[in-house]
Amino acid sequence: MPEVPLQQHPPPEEGAQVRGEAPDPAAGDAPPGKGTVRVDFEFRRELARKVEGNLASFCYQCGACVGDCPAATYSDRFNPREIMLEVLYGLGDELIKEDSPLWLCTNCYNCHERCPQQVKPVEVIISMKNMLADRGLAPTSVDKVIRTFEETGRTVPPNPAIDKQRAKFGLPPLPPVPVEEINKLFGAVTEDGGAE
Amino acid sequence: MKRYAFFPGCLIPARHPAMEFAIRATLEKLEIEIVDLEGASCCPDPIYFKSKDKLSWLAVAARNLTLAEDLGLDIFTNCSGCTATLSETYHLLQDEALRDQVNERLARVDREYRGTSRVRHIATLVRDEVGYDKVRESVVRPLEGLKVAIHYGCHLLKPSRIMQVDNPDNPEVMEKLVEAIGASPVRHRNWYLCCGKACKDEEIPNQMMHDLLDTVREEEADILGMICPTCFGQFDHGQKKIANLFEKDFNTPPVYYFQLLAFAQGVPYDKLGFERQRFKPVALQRFEEVAAV
Repeated sequence: MPEVPLQQHPPPEEGAQVRGEAPDPAAGDAPPGKGTVRVDFEFRRELARKVEGNLASFCYQCGACVGDCPAATYSDRFNPREIMLEVLYGLGDELIKEDSPLWLCTNCYNCHERCPQQVKPVEVIISMKNMLADRGLAPTSVDKVIRTFEETGRTVPPNPAIDKQRAKFGLPPLPPVPVEEINKLFGAVTEDGGAE
Repeated sequence: MKRYAFFPGCLIPARHPAMEFAIRATLEKLEIEIVDLEGASCCPDPIYFKSKDKLSWLAVAARNLTLAEDLGLDIFTNCSGCTATLSETYHLLQDEALRDQVNERLARVDREYRGTSRVRHIATLVRDEVGYDKVRESVVRPLEGLKVAIHYGCHLLKPSRIMQVDNPDNPEVMEKLVEAIGASPVRHRNWYLCCGKACKDEEIPNQMMHDLLDTVREEEADILGMICPTCFGQFDHGQKKIANLFEKDFNTPPVYYFQLLAFAQGVPYDKLGFERQRFKPVALQRFEEVAAV
């Protein structure tokens, strides 16, 4: 069933094998019983500290999330069941990396709707996006909107042209946003940041 | 008059003031009193800022909710994204541990989230507090024969346990609202598809939008009825791109429902900002000519 290739212990002469890479048939598969999955528990622990990050633990790989997933329908680069499996296996390197497939999620919530285990795959994905953002790995287009919000308290920054348009409809200028107050809400609760 | 705190968000007031104008004009006729919230920020958006730090996202959203709590009012939104953020925050903060964590942050600005203000999307506000019959009575020019393909978008309906708007597999709120203004709702084959805005890819959203617009065209709909400003942008600005890319003309102007309602209530076509759209809903003009005769 799982299309995600399992990590095999590489033969010594091959040196470091890329995590999750399909075993090379030419090199000969590991003998039965020797194939192992190396679970990166540090990745799973970090994910579990995010809000709703630990929900993947309830995933039993039924695949109900896939049928109505638009990104999976239109691309073989994204599959929510496989992503949940990679989370279970702790294959963080497949997900927490530059150009992560996680950004292909359309945030449509169909997986959330269909999941019989209330895993909320989209929320697990968002928690991993938080991990990507912690490492500065958010795509430029995402980062830009985030910075606009942090600087102006809005995702569309105010400007005189907007107020002119609003006046045409008899609407007052955009009201001010207390940006300083909002900025105080960011960041860790505890000094050491350990709570998050 | 029933009073509600209005949470307009970012996109509609800044990019689509005609939508805000239409909301204020139509709700007045439906006897809903709008109370503006002072000091509101971005909800914050459920795609980008939520991707950065979900706890900060919850804290800012909770702060916005406290503004309505201070007034003792329920809050209504006009954007599916804002509804998603505020409804999810309301839902998640029923968990005491998480609420404490958020309130620790809110204490930095002398605020406390209590969870006393409900979040309503404007469509459900009209359905539940005004009623379809009263919408029908407010119409002075029924848009008879106008075929409106309905695009629900994702966040109005899902996750349904949190949004509590309608059955996500077979919703009817938009169909009923469109019928109330005399028009004919059309459910096209790909009604369930997402607009693709949140997907950071070229190919996937392009193909999705193409397929959606293609089935709308098969139904020969006059317009695409919208309830989400993000989806609106995709199908107005974005439609041109898809038309060029696939070398097809869809000519399906998207129209935000409350502009359509304002028009049916008698606001002139040229007062509704349609001239700013890439695809203009000229099919509406025939109702104006009838009224003028």
